[in-house]
Amino acid sequence: MAMKLFKIFSVFSAACGVALFCAGCNGKTFSIYTNMPEGSFEISDKNYTLGGIIPGYVPTEKEVLPSAENFTSKRRMYYSMTSNAELVVSADFTAEGAEDKYSEFVSAVGAELSAIDKALSVTVVNSDVSKFNNAAAGETVEISHTAYKVLNLAKSVYDLTSGYYNPALYYNVFAYGFGGAYDYPKDESELPDEETVVQYKELARHFGEVLLSCGEGENEGKYFVTKPEFSIEVGGENLAMKVDLGGIGKGYAVDCVDKLFEEYGYEYGYFNFGSSSMLVKGYTDGGSYNVGFAGPRSPMREPYLYTKIQGEKLSTSGDNEQVYSIGGKRYCHIIDPTTGKPVQTGIMSVTVIGGSAAEDDALTTAIMAMGKERAVQFIEEKLADRKVAFCCE
Amino acid sequence: MSLKKVKEVKKDKGFKLFDLIIYGVIAVFVAVLFTVIFTTQNKTPIAGVRICVAAEVVFEYEFGGEPSYKDGLDVEENGNSLTVTVHADNGYNKVYIDKLTKTVKVIEADCRGKQCMYFAPIENNSQLIYCSPHALRIEPLINDFNNPDIIM
Repeated sequence: MAMKLFKIFSVFSAACGVALFCAGCNGKTFSIYTNMPEGSFEISDKNYTLGGIIPGYVPTEKEVLPSAENFTSKRRMYYSMTSNAELVVSADFTAEGAEDKYSEFVSAVGAELSAIDKALSVTVVNSDVSKFNNAAAGETVEISHTAYKVLNLAKSVYDLTSGYYNPALYYNVFAYGFGGAYDYPKDESELPDEETVVQYKELARHFGEVLLSCGEGENEGKYFVTKPEFSIEVGGENLAMKVDLGGIGKGYAVDCVDKLFEEYGYEYGYFNFGSSSMLVKGYTDGGSYNVGFAGPRSPMREPYLYTKIQGEKLSTSGDNEQVYSIGGKRYCHIIDPTTGKPVQTGIMSVTVIGGSAAEDDALTTAIMAMGKERAVQFIEEKLADRKVAFCCE
Repeated sequence: MSLKKVKEVKKDKGFKLFDLIIYGVIAVFVAVLFTVIFTTQNKTPIAGVRICVAAEVVFEYEFGGEPSYKDGLDVEENGNSLTVTVHADNGYNKVYIDKLTKTVKVIEADCRGKQCMYFAPIENNSQLIYCSPHALRIEPLINDFNNPDIIM
C-alpha cells in the first residue's frame, strides 16, 4: 500500500514538474527590435530573443538629480477615460506647507483629467468629440482648446506616419466590437462583411481633410473644426466621419500632468495612465526607475524587457489588451488602415520612449499597423530622437 | 484470500518501516509549509484599502488621504468612518472603513450566503475579503516603495 502511494506521489510530482516546465517555455519564441543601444536594456524572458538593433538613435546624458534620502512617497489613483491612472509623488512631506501643496497638486491633476475626459470622450453626450461625431459631413462645430490641440496633434502624427495612425477608423473599430461596444463577435458570421469594412476604411482615409481653425473678430479665442464633405452610405444610412481620440488622449493627459509636476516643482515620482502612457520622473536616490514592459503573451504580465528611465515620457500599445479569437485568428482593437481590419502584422507590442507622450501614444498604434520591415525603416528614418522597442511573432 | 494469507496479514505489523518513513516525510512537509506560511505573513497594519470588481480597481483609500473611486459608487463619510456601497451587476456590498482602528469589513450585502460579511475584518496586509457572487475583492493597499520597478 505504502509503495503504491509512493509511486502515485512520484508520478504526480513528475507530472507537476513537466507541467511547470512546459508553462515556462511554451515553445514559441518572439523577436525584439529596438534602437536602444546594447547594454541599455535587458531581455528578461527566455522566450524572447533580440531580432535586431535599429540604427539612428543617439543617447543623451541625463541630468543627475540631487539626493532625496529623507523623501517619502504618496500614491493616488484616478479613474478617467475608462482606465485607472496611478500618481506617485516623492517629496519631503514634513516640510511646512508640503501637505497642502500636495493636496492642491492631486486636485489639479484630477481636474485636468476630468477636463480632458469631458473634451475627448466618445460616450459623453456633450463632449467636443461627440459634437464633431454628431455633426453632418462638411459641418463646422466649435470645440474646446483641449480638443483643438489634440486634433492638431492627431493630424500631425497622421501625416508623419503616412496615415498609419488614423483616429477616423471609428466605424472599423466599432464594427469589430471595440471602441466602447465590447460586444465581441462570437463566430465568423458576426464579423463585418468585406464591402462594409472597405467603405469604412475609405471614409477614414479622408481624415487629412479635417480642418481646424481659430476664431477671428467676435469669435476670437474660440476654436472650430470642420468635417470633410465625404460621406458613405451603408445599409441605406448616410454616414459622415467620426473620430475616436482614445489612441492619443491618454498620452496627452500624461503631457498635461508633466506640466503640473513642473509647475508644482516635483522632481520625483511617476504618473502611469492605464499602462498605456507614462511620465517617469526621478527615483528618490537620484537615479532612474527600472521599467519593465509586460510580455504581450504573458497572462501574469511578466516583463520581457527592462530599461532604466528618468525624466521621460513613454507609451505602449499591444494586441493583448482588447482581443478575441475566432477560428484561431486574433482580433485586437488596433485597426490596420490599409485593410480596415484588426492588425495581423505579427507585431505584438510597441513602446516609444521620449518626446511628447501624446505623440508616442499615437506612434505606437501606427507602428503596430506598419509591420516589421516598414516599422524598422520608419523608426530609423523618423524616430532617431526617441527610444523604440517592439516585439513580434 | 486463503486462510493462510489471512493469518499472515493478521500477524503482520500495523506499520512497516517504509510506511513510517513516508508518514514522517509528509508530517515534516506539512509542518514546514505551515511554519513558512505563518511566519512569512505580512502582519503590518494596513495603510489603506483597495476594492476591485472583476479585477478592475473601483475604489482606493489611503488612511489620512482622500478616497478616489469610480463613478457609480456611493461613498459616505461619517466622522471617523467611510461607508462604501459597491453596486455590481447582480447586487451590492456595503463596505465599512474605520479610520481610527484602521480596519475594513463588509457590513451589508445581498449575495447568496453572505460569506463576505463573515470574513474577519481586514487589519493587516495578509488579509483580504472576497465576494464570489459579485466578483468583489477587498484588499490592503500596500505601498511597497522599496521596489521602484514599474511594470508597464
